[in-house]
Amino acid sequence: MARVLLIEDDRETATEIMAELVERGFEVDWAATGIDGLDKARSGDPNVMIVDRLLPGMDGLTIIEALRKGDVRTPVLVLSALGAIDDRVRGLRSGGDDYLTKPFAIVELIARIEALLRRPVDSRETTLKVGPLELDLLTRTARRADRVIDLLPREFRLLEYMMRRKDQLLTRAMLFEEVWNYKFVPQTNLVDVHMGRLRHKVDNPNEPPMIHNVRGAGFILRAPS
Amino acid sequence: MFAAPVSYSVRLPEFIRTTTFRWTLLGSGVFALCILLMFGLVYWQTAAYIVARVDTTIARDADAIARDSPERWHEAIEERLRQDPRRVRLAGLFGVDGHLIAGNLESLPEQLLVDGEPQNVSVVRIDARGREEQTVRAVGRRLRNGEILVLGRNVDELSEIAAIVERALVMGLIPALCLGLVAGAFLSLRAQNRVEEVNKKVRRIVAGELRERLPTQGLNDPFDKLAVIVNGMLDEIETLIHGIAGVGDDIAHDLRTPLTRVRVSLERGRENAQTLQELRAVVDQAIGGLDQSLAIITALLRIAEIEQSRRLEGFSDVALTDVVREVGDLYEPIAEDKRITLKVAAEVEATVRGDRDLLFEAVANLVDNAVKFTPEGGAVELSLVRLGGESVVRVRDSGPGISAGERDIVARRFYRSDKSRHTLGLGLGLSLVTAIVKLHGFGFAISSGPGCVAEIFCSRAQL
Repeated sequence: MARVLLIEDDRETATEIMAELVERGFEVDWAATGIDGLDKARSGDPNVMIVDRLLPGMDGLTIIEALRKGDVRTPVLVLSALGAIDDRVRGLRSGGDDYLTKPFAIVELIARIEALLRRPVDSRETTLKVGPLELDLLTRTARRADRVIDLLPREFRLLEYMMRRKDQLLTRAMLFEEVWNYKFVPQTNLVDVHMGRLRHKVDNPNEPPMIHNVRGAGFILRAPS
Repeated sequence: MFAAPVSYSVRLPEFIRTTTFRWTLLGSGVFALCILLMFGLVYWQTAAYIVARVDTTIARDADAIARDSPERWHEAIEERLRQDPRRVRLAGLFGVDGHLIAGNLESLPEQLLVDGEPQNVSVVRIDARGREEQTVRAVGRRLRNGEILVLGRNVDELSEIAAIVERALVMGLIPALCLGLVAGAFLSLRAQNRVEEVNKKVRRIVAGELRERLPTQGLNDPFDKLAVIVNGMLDEIETLIHGIAGVGDDIAHDLRTPLTRVRVSLERGRENAQTLQELRAVVDQAIGGLDQSLAIITALLRIAEIEQSRRLEGFSDVALTDVVREVGDLYEPIAEDKRITLKVAAEVEATVRGDRDLLFEAVANLVDNAVKFTPEGGAVELSLVRLGGESVVRVRDSGPGISAGERDIVARRFYRSDKSRHTLGLGLGLSLVTAIVKLHGFGFAISSGPGCVAEIFCSRAQL
């Protein structure tokens, strides 16, 4: 069972997040102040931490910096009401692994926590496999069982990202940030359209689907059962 | 019993303690000192000149008489004293034993060095008017027969000159000093009043009276110049604050609409939903409304962030060609889904100085708008061309175009007065583009082709 340390000063937000995490089988510890949080981070050995950016007593980023200096490598998701790109950059620079702007959908938070807990497949692999789906990173070719899938470069990139994170919920924002490396929120349903294209190529009508659309949340790549 | 020591402090009037007054005081002091020195110099020079002239005259006359024949000495002295209407000449011929032979001196002055240089000596003058003690310049010569000739001259005019100089000083300097002090006090009071006036106005401005301005008197003095500068600054601040207030109103308006919908649907859902499914549908709708509100807030904050950005120093060379191609790549499937032909023409190699992410966002927004507003079966063309020395990113669509009225709004003030921001697509998208373009010092224009043509003019020279 994964242990999550939540450092958040707003009691109501913390309660909601904790309830959701516990429901999903996480073991949650909560600290309301920066100092308490730092103590718990050092002593409790959590698997992942959620740290609010602005905290009484000690700034969230200071906590992360202190932990990193003390060689604590626990992955950290920074929560912040400050949404500016500069703040995000600062958050990641001080040692945060991901950054989520308030208010957020709870499913987005969970997806990001899961992503932090499951580090992606080793990047030195040259072939990725999920069920019948196979991606050759050297020849840049994809196949599903015997069927060769003809992918455009952008579709290849998207599929590679998903295969490295199979069985994980990937939200639209995560995909947009990570696959396209863009820092703005698109107005059109860009991700859906691109995903639609990819899905069309990966899942033929007569094949069991591998790319699943989780309504209101994002997408999951799963081997057919 | 000892009385407790009491310290008294005399509180000087405010204006005396000002720097202006102190400087005036110092200036007056220096001025008075200069005048004193100057008058002193004039007196000293004049006195020296008069004494030297008297000395030369009496020495020369004494030598002339001494050279004369002895029988002429007596007569020469008499003659000399006769021609003296101002009664300033003194002369005496003394015998070997020191008794007076001729002249108007009572006795041979004791301190007088015979055959020396002219000197100051005290003598007693005797004539028809009586006996009078005087200090004079005198010279003594021993004559050939041993008798002593003394010639002198009264230099009382020196003290007269001193008196005149003194009077002139008193009459000139004291009024000048007083005038200086009065002027200092006046200037000091005036400065103090201006400061007090400014202070009052500033307090009013701080209290929220943004229309207040610092007073000017049209005198073009430093105070006025400063006031004009500060007033200019206040104009700018007032505009900005009104701008912010306007944005605040717009945000409030834009947010109230979806939030009201959320509230109403939640309320109705609670009352009317019969099944869990119905309730979920209501909640989904509410979440949709909240997301819309959040998207508006995010976009508005993003515009503010870009507008206030001072990230010029973080700029680097951006390959515009790549940016255009990538945007094309990103939007191609979206266009295709709508059966819109998206043509990307970026054959020109162009590099500009800027923020790559922001430029990407700007171009993406233009293409996003174009794809959104072009009806199915239409065409969107994204091209990078070179016009003169400028690289121009052009997005042309075959949509309905933009009406003259709308274009005016867009051209005049992109988002502050633009009410089209209710539709997340148009207003905010273009507002973002404008903010980004402005930050880069580029130009932006929207015109009607057939359809709508949006252009970003990227000039290197403007940075």
